Parts: sequence; structure tokens; C-alpha cells
Amino acid sequence: MKNIIRTVKIKNITKECHNIKTFTFNMKNGELEDYISPKLGQFALIWVPGIDEVPMSISGYDNDGNWSITVKNVGECTNAIFQLKVSDYIGVRGPLGNYFELPNEDSKIIFLIGGGIGIASLKCLASELYKKKFKFNIIEGVKTENEIIFMNDFQAFNNENSEIFYTTDDGSYGLKGFASDFFEKLIRGYSQENLSDSMAYTCGPEKMMYKIYKICETYNIQLQASLERIMRCGCGLCGLCAIDPLGLLVCKDGPIFKSEYLRKMEDFGKFKRDITGKKIPLD
Amino acid sequence: MLEINLSGLYLDSPIILASGILGVSFSSMKRVIDAGAGAVTTKSIGPRPRKGYKNPSIIEIYPETFMNSVGLGNPGINDFCSEIKEIKKLNIPLIVSVFGDSNDSYINVAKKAEQSGADAIEINISCPHAEVSSIGIDEDLTFSLINALKGELSVPLFVKLNPNVTDIGKIALAAEKGGADAVVAINTVSAMIIDVNTKRPILSHGSGGLSGKAIHPIAVKKVYDLYKILKIPIIGCGGVSNWKDVIEFLLAGATTVQIGTALNQGVEIISEINHGVMEYLKQNNYKSIIELKGLAHKYKTQEVPDF
Repeated sequence: MKNIIRTVKIKNITKECHNIKTFTFNMKNGELEDYISPKLGQFALIWVPGIDEVPMSISGYDNDGNWSITVKNVGECTNAIFQLKVSDYIGVRGPLGNYFELPNEDSKIIFLIGGGIGIASLKCLASELYKKKFKFNIIEGVKTENEIIFMNDFQAFNNENSEIFYTTDDGSYGLKGFASDFFEKLIRGYSQENLSDSMAYTCGPEKMMYKIYKICETYNIQLQASLERIMRCGCGLCGLCAIDPLGLLVCKDGPIFKSEYLRKMEDFGKFKRDITGKKIPLD
Repeated sequence: MLEINLSGLYLDSPIILASGILGVSFSSMKRVIDAGAGAVTTKSIGPRPRKGYKNPSIIEIYPETFMNSVGLGNPGINDFCSEIKEIKKLNIPLIVSVFGDSNDSYINVAKKAEQSGADAIEINISCPHAEVSSIGIDEDLTFSLINALKGELSVPLFVKLNPNVTDIGKIALAAEKGGADAVVAINTVSAMIIDVNTKRPILSHGSGGLSGKAIHPIAVKKVYDLYKILKIPIIGCGGVSNWKDVIEFLLAGATTVQIGTALNQGVEIISEINHGVMEYLKQNNYKSIIELKGLAHKYKTQEVPDF
């Protein structure tokens, strides 16, 4: 039933920053028998009636069936989502795709690197790692100070086990520069021995993730990257999200791919398909 | 046991990937072949790039029954030729589905597909939510198009039929008379779903085509009826999701089948279906699937009810 659109009312809207909001809705909605709870890093297709339907990371969920999505106002559909009010209906199908695998219990160092709105798909993972008492570092990279989100949520994880870093392209907050550059600087502080037991997770612009991947390959760090592609079906039929040359589907085999698959992707960091199915360079 | 000659196309399995499913990239089509399909059909390709309808455009409405209105979104034949060449490098039996906006435009796209390496051409005159369906509902237009195409192509020509007509037999006969080498029965069934909360049709186009489990019995009936009147082979299409569905199509008169919607369960189901068909053949002492063709017609059905 996860592929069937369910229309639900928006329960709550939180403004995260000037162009990012979190929308919460309940997916149990009286239909308990076919409810499927999301797993870390899964996504949903969000239908805005009359506008479009787009894939969105599930940025939060609880045992009562409340899910949330965190939306950056970047285009026609996200702008329409932005105009929605509490009690307006949206259509949701999900949870879709695979999910993040937790690190081994003896993993010494864990990195979460989110670029821009990509941090939304890492939020539940961070919370789970915190609950399970893993030692982890979060790097949230944004263009400028007023786009930083989840600062209060992440502050709660800041203790002897975990550290949160912010990078801004313009240096208006935290460290100046790209998240990927800071990531490399950070791991240089660890011994190679420690790094080979480590795990990195990333979500954000694909070119950033490609840099993170290259760094992880150099330092022999296992990576799980959450990819995004245009899709119609979300369930392995339309083929628009296929990644050459293995034909891996972001909607079904992904959105999360480990290093062993990223290594075999010729498209990763380079190409995507547009709505016609034509292969085009990544932005 | 599963090998079959479909109008000169030699397939290792009777299961062919249906058009519109995973058919935009060589890599996903290779995956379908590796999973055990005998051939693949591409997404319908037209003369120029086309975005199609907005989302929602492919949705599940009951378990294993889908509705779509993609609206023939495709990259256009000029760009797609490179994808065809990639597939042919892998030596995969390839059927290119083609549509156009006039007889000449169909011919132009089909010829480019053939020149790039297509082993057969499937003509889409039946997409229920796009303009081309106007051909597939008219005998004369169907005959004229297929006749014109046949003269220009040397590879086998398949015609995909629209079930949303009063008499599918008349259209099929027109296609046969025009020179079609086989027909594909059926395309999706015209349908609509309305959300009760928002009170609006869910698909962006309003209506769309029904596929998957719900339409399988409809497709079996069409194949059964067509087998009685056609000389050319029939490719059964509609709701194949397990080996029984395949056998059922063959018994109704199909030579091969196509699979589409069920692949949302993963392409791996193709190998399971091949295995199931093989087991059926062994248990019933058949040496080839061709022996099953049309067997259901041996049995007389009651034409007039008892009074």
C-alpha cells in the first residue's frame, strides 16, 4: 500500500529559516491496518493537488504515525507547498526506497555531512545515532548564515560523544568554505587506522556528495550517499531515475547507495535524466 | 522449452518487457534481459522531445493495479538513437515503440529506429490519454498507417491495440491487412480515480490508463477473441505478474506475452515466472510453449443460454 496516494491534512508547520519550513501530518489517519512506518533516510512522494508531485526526504517520524518533510522553497511545487496552511490536504505515498544502515557497533568515527536542505534526510539518522550512544560528527554546510536549520535539534546532540560543525560559503557563520573541504580537514586529524573503521553519511547537492565520495575513497572510509533524481512512479516503473551503467534505480535500489555501488556509477556526480528521459549534465 | 519464434524474432523466453516500463535507458533494459526477458520494448519514442503530463502520472490504486497518464513523455528519436545503439552493443533483442503525429512522422521515427538497430518496431496507436489513440480507434486510419509503414521497413512490425473501442477485432484485422507482423493486445484501459478528500481527479491529466492485475482478465478475453479471427501472432499484454498469467495468455491464443506493471515488485520476478512456466511444461509433458497456443479454444463454450 506504500505506493497508493493517501491524502492527509497538514497538522503543523514550523518555519526553520526564511526559505525552509517543516510540515507535519499523520499517516495512520484511522487506517491502521496498512500503515508502514518509515526507516531512516526513506522518502515520500508529496502531491500538491493541482500543482505537481515530487520526492521529499522524510525528515521526522514518530510511533503515532506523524511524519514530517522539510521543504526549501526552490521551485513551482515547493513554492506551492510553502503557501499551504494547517488543515490543507496534501497527498503522500511512502515510505519509499531503501534506508541508511547503522554503523557497526565498534565504528570509531561517524560523519554526517549535509549540504543545504540535504541535512533534512540525515536528521532522523543523527537522532538515532545519539540514542544509540554512537560518537559522531555532523557537518552542516550552507551558503549563508540565514539558511542554517535544525540548530536547536542538533544542539541537543552536542556532548562528549558528538560535535556539530557549521560551514557557510561566505563565512557569515561557523567555518568559511564548503562542507566537503572542511570534511577533509577534519578527517586529517584522525589516524588512518581509526578511519578504516569509520562510516560517513551524506546528502546534498550531488557535486558536493561526489567530492565527499572522492575524499572517502582516498581515506578508505565507507560512505552511504542519498541521491536524488526526477521520477514519476517512485516504485521502479518509469525508469527516469535509472543510473548507468548498472541500471540502478534511485527510487527502489536507492535513494541511498554505498561506496561499492557509487564506484560503479558512471553517472554519479555527472549526469541525470530530465522528465523526457534525456540524459543531461548535473546542474 | 521457452524459446519462441515471434514473426522472425527469435526469443529465449516468451516474456517481453512492455513499452513504457524502464524503457528509457540501455542500463535498465539490460537489467530486464539479465533477469530473463526474451526481448525488451522501449518507451514510445516520437519525432521530438516531449515532457508529457505532470505528476502524479503513475500511481498505484489497488494492490498491483496502477493507473498512469505519462502522456508519451520521451526524449525524441534523434537523442534516443544513441540509447538504441548502446542496447544493440549488448546484443539484446530490441523492439522500439514508436509514435508520430502523421503517417510520415511515424515512418520517419520508425526508419531512424530501424537504422539504429531496432530488431522490430512496435507501433503505438493506442495510448488512451494522448492524441495517437485517434488512429487506434479507426479501421481506415489504422490500415493506412500500417500499410504505409510496412512498405518502408524491413524489420517486423507489431501494432499495439487500444482496448477502448467497440470492436477490437475490426482494428486488428485492419492492422493485419495493412501488413502487421503481430499485434500486441492490449494497451491500458481508459480509467479515472477521484480523491474523496480533495474531491479532484488524482492524475494531473484527470484520466489515464489502467494496468496491472485488474486488467488481466480483460486482456485474456481480447486475446481469446482475436485468436479466432487473426492469422498473425498475438502478443498478450495486461496484468502478467506470475507464471499462470503467462500460461493463460498462451492458452487464449497468444504466442508471447509482455510484462510491465508487475515489475514494481522488482525485475527479478521475470526469472521466477520463466521457472514457473518451465515447471508447468515439464509437469504437463510439453516440449515447447508453442504447443500451448490457443488450447483453450478446443473447448466449446455455450453460445446460447438454456431456456
